[in-house]
Amino acid sequence: MLETADVGDAPTDDDVCGVATGRRYPAWMADQANFEQDAMEYAPQLYSAALRMTRNPADAEDVVQETFLKAYRGYDSFEEGTNLKAWLYRILTNTYINKYRKAQRRPNEVELGELQDLYLYRRLGEQSGATESAETTALEMFVDEDIIEAIESLPENFRMPVLYADVEGFSYKEIAEILDVPIGTVMSRLHRGRKALQRKLWNLAVEHGLVEPTP
Amino acid sequence: MSGCEHAVEYVYQYIDDEMTLTRRSRITMHLKRCTKCTDAFEFEKKLRAKIESCGKSQPPPELFDHLRALIQQERNTGDPDC
Repeated sequence: MLETADVGDAPTDDDVCGVATGRRYPAWMADQANFEQDAMEYAPQLYSAALRMTRNPADAEDVVQETFLKAYRGYDSFEEGTNLKAWLYRILTNTYINKYRKAQRRPNEVELGELQDLYLYRRLGEQSGATESAETTALEMFVDEDIIEAIESLPENFRMPVLYADVEGFSYKEIAEILDVPIGTVMSRLHRGRKALQRKLWNLAVEHGLVEPTP
Repeated sequence: MSGCEHAVEYVYQYIDDEMTLTRRSRITMHLKRCTKCTDAFEFEKKLRAKIESCGKSQPPPELFDHLRALIQQERNTGDPDC
């Protein structure tokens, strides 16, 4: 199956200030003077997400700085009381895409291949001597670095939904708004991305000699 | 489709709490009867929690100062056309 990374079609720099608020009533627009106070608490999370996307601390800080600058400039168009965190992530996503994907106008197509459901669970269950619920215990063999490596190994269009759902705790609807794709696309990429992440973890476990490779 | 196949198909929507109540209770009923699926669902939940805790990184402490300085600078340069 072929997945198309149409995140490349997300709004450009010029659209950032006009991020849809979907407002129906005259609303209270945010006050630029409060921007720091309102947005600063999200800086650590935004940095963490940027780091998972750029895989590099200096680039991550650049992306966060640019995000804050754009968000500050467009804060007058942000409707107070709506989802500030999602609004910031949308700007972050667009900033990242514009910065690192600009040269690549055409969306990249990524092949993940067919992936079995419960990929890692099934592989671990096949291990000789595996006892009941051994799979869940086996999860402890993965250290933080393995998990990070597995997340960062995902193609971008799968990495973002996985990151936004699993690490940031956004709902499917929020992710759809952040990435500007339909909810169905979010679900399919998230599910396939998670399975690909599990395959990567399995491969790491094999590489590290923690499990017996299965034929 | 067997109860197990149905449950596995919806495992992510279930652990993400992204399904209708009717569908959810159908799966909950199945899990009460099926230890294999319960086990698999537990595994997926644990892995999700592990990804959540490991996927977070702390920013360098100077990030906050950098951001504040940036906004201050922007403020001083006047109103952007936005």
